[in-house]
Amino acid sequence: MAVIEREAKIVNPLGMHVRPGAEFVKVANRFKSAVEVRKDDVSVNGKSILGMMTLAAECGSSIMIKTEGDDAEEAMNALLALVADGFHEMHLKHKDEGAT
Amino acid sequence: MSERQLRGIGVSPGIAVGPAVVVRWALPEVPHRVVPRSHVEKEVRRLRAAVKDVRRHLTELREQAVDRAGVDEARIFDAQILMLEDREFIGGVAGLIRKNHFTAEKAFEFKTLEVRDLWTDAGSPLLKERLADVTGVAIRVIQHLMHRGAQDLWEGISQPSIVVARELSPGLTVQLDPAHVIGLISEEGTRTSHAAILAHSIGIPAIFGLRGAVERIRPGTMVILDGNRGTVLLDPTPDEVAEAERSETRRSELSARLEEAVAQPSVTLDGARFTLRGNVDLPDEIAAAQLHGAEGVGLLRTEFLLTGHSTLPTENEQTAYFRRVADAFPGHPVVVRSYDLGGDKFPAPFRVPAEANPALGWRAIRVCLDEPEIFRTQIRAVLRAAARAPIQLMIPLVTRLDEVERARALVAEEAAGLQRAGIEAATSLPVGVMVETPAAAVMADRLAEISDFMSVGTNDLTQYTLVVDRGNARLADRFTPHDPSVLRLLKLVAEAARAAGKPASVCGEMASEPLSAFLLLGLGYETLSVAPPALPLIKWLLRQVTTAQARAAADAALAARSAALALDILRFALAEAVDLTLLDPDARLPAGRRSGSLKA
Repeated sequence: MAVIEREAKIVNPLGMHVRPGAEFVKVANRFKSAVEVRKDDVSVNGKSILGMMTLAAECGSSIMIKTEGDDAEEAMNALLALVADGFHEMHLKHKDEGAT
Repeated sequence: MSERQLRGIGVSPGIAVGPAVVVRWALPEVPHRVVPRSHVEKEVRRLRAAVKDVRRHLTELREQAVDRAGVDEARIFDAQILMLEDREFIGGVAGLIRKNHFTAEKAFEFKTLEVRDLWTDAGSPLLKERLADVTGVAIRVIQHLMHRGAQDLWEGISQPSIVVARELSPGLTVQLDPAHVIGLISEEGTRTSHAAILAHSIGIPAIFGLRGAVERIRPGTMVILDGNRGTVLLDPTPDEVAEAERSETRRSELSARLEEAVAQPSVTLDGARFTLRGNVDLPDEIAAAQLHGAEGVGLLRTEFLLTGHSTLPTENEQTAYFRRVADAFPGHPVVVRSYDLGGDKFPAPFRVPAEANPALGWRAIRVCLDEPEIFRTQIRAVLRAAARAPIQLMIPLVTRLDEVERARALVAEEAAGLQRAGIEAATSLPVGVMVETPAAAVMADRLAEISDFMSVGTNDLTQYTLVVDRGNARLADRFTPHDPSVLRLLKLVAEAARAAGKPASVCGEMASEPLSAFLLLGLGYETLSVAPPALPLIKWLLRQVTTAQARAAADAALAARSAALALDILRFALAEAVDLTLLDPDARLPAGRRSGSLKA
């Protein structure tokens, strides 16, 4: 049983809120491994949307992801890719964000 | 007067006049009952069946939301659907049934209130807002278990009405019938509430965060809801109703005119041709720019290719992206801006030590010239895409002539290399300067000699000229591109380009705003590249002015002693030509996000 822990930086402008949380839970639930997410001193189950909803992480901040189980590595890679891809919502911006 | 006027947060624009209907969307009273031990497993099955039914129903609502509001908005429902798949949560409810012999509805209510308490105690305003989603799901499941329908909530409304509620869930919002619900008022919620986002997308005027609305607005009261200003007027006089209706007419008239403008040619009243291009930051803006009639892309940002990725984009990936953009605007130029990296905009592969002053630091062309391999890869991609389309390369943050010369040398070397390798690519490429520093503006005559075009980035030019960080709230009113010093630089660049016979354009945010677009035309900029949603507005506006009017206004603005005076002059001059009363005085872009949804 492998245990992996990695830091991931939030890059999408709107940060980690409900929709990214939902994407995260969907990916996490594809794997058998337990997934834990930590931000500052709050730690939640990465497979639970209600847990993830309590985590608010703004753009630029970091979260710690821990996966534990037979497919811990695959789970970690998939989750890191999702976070790095901005939860598929790099195109959503704050309304007041301007050009040039 | 003041007790008739209530103020909240305008979350969806538009004005609605009608009677108020108070809707109670709240957890129903659940009778406290226990079930005999022998019925416990049956109760758990009843819970699972209800969860499954509601989950199916939410999936249908999600589909509805895709049609009515859009794909991104529909993802709001994912969280609610996942809640019903949340093993911790649903498992917790089942646990309460088994341990305490609660009925399924009591156990669900108990667990929901537990989450509510936990989140309320946490004190985070964001969490408090998300409670509407949790409560929305709970209401549906509990009503289902108690054999009550949720849908009939809207059915009691027989005439066009304004709905007043303590809290609105996204599900409720997407279900509402626009024939009967013409406005929404909610005590809870802000601009970023899911229900607010949906109301905006569907196009129903709405005000959220209006404290005490349910108590202060009695059912049946006539109200005027102004979603632009966030105000509610109770028991309005006939005059007030007439004024509200006039202002709503102006708003819809403007959006009709803007819609017409999309298909009309870009010519001024005296027949002078101007060109409007779109600024494309992220791929999904391509469609918006097309939809709003952009004649090409005047600023294609490339940073999104890097941020959020752990590897640098390959030459092929970049070539494919540039081709895709060019294909969307056949026959029109696409101006690719080379990587504008710096400060916090560095991709994962770089680990750059923090700088004390990133705005004056290692960024943009400075990084590209110091990291030539990254730059060369990008140049090759642009050259390859330019084989079959009029693609141009623009260099950001130029301060010295040699930066342009070195970039051009790299372009020539890579073009020769591609040719030797027998790869299909353009043999040369128009290379232009993005003028966004006072140094570049002052040296515009020299830069014009060694470049193929010049395009002004007004935000950085303003920031560096006035020494004002535009993110600094305390200095916000000092950040104005209409300062006479910036206007002089804009004039200098336009004149230098004209003297050298090179095209000059503006691709900064300034061009997206009505008064400035008028000014820029007068200063001699015939090509503007603007945020896609602003395209129809700027075209509508410039079609109504003559070049002589614009020039006279620009000359007068240049002679002003301050930005405020320059703006007054422009406003006065533009009002001679255009019915400015159609524009919302409160908004910088009168149509704002609304013009983004002109297709509706």
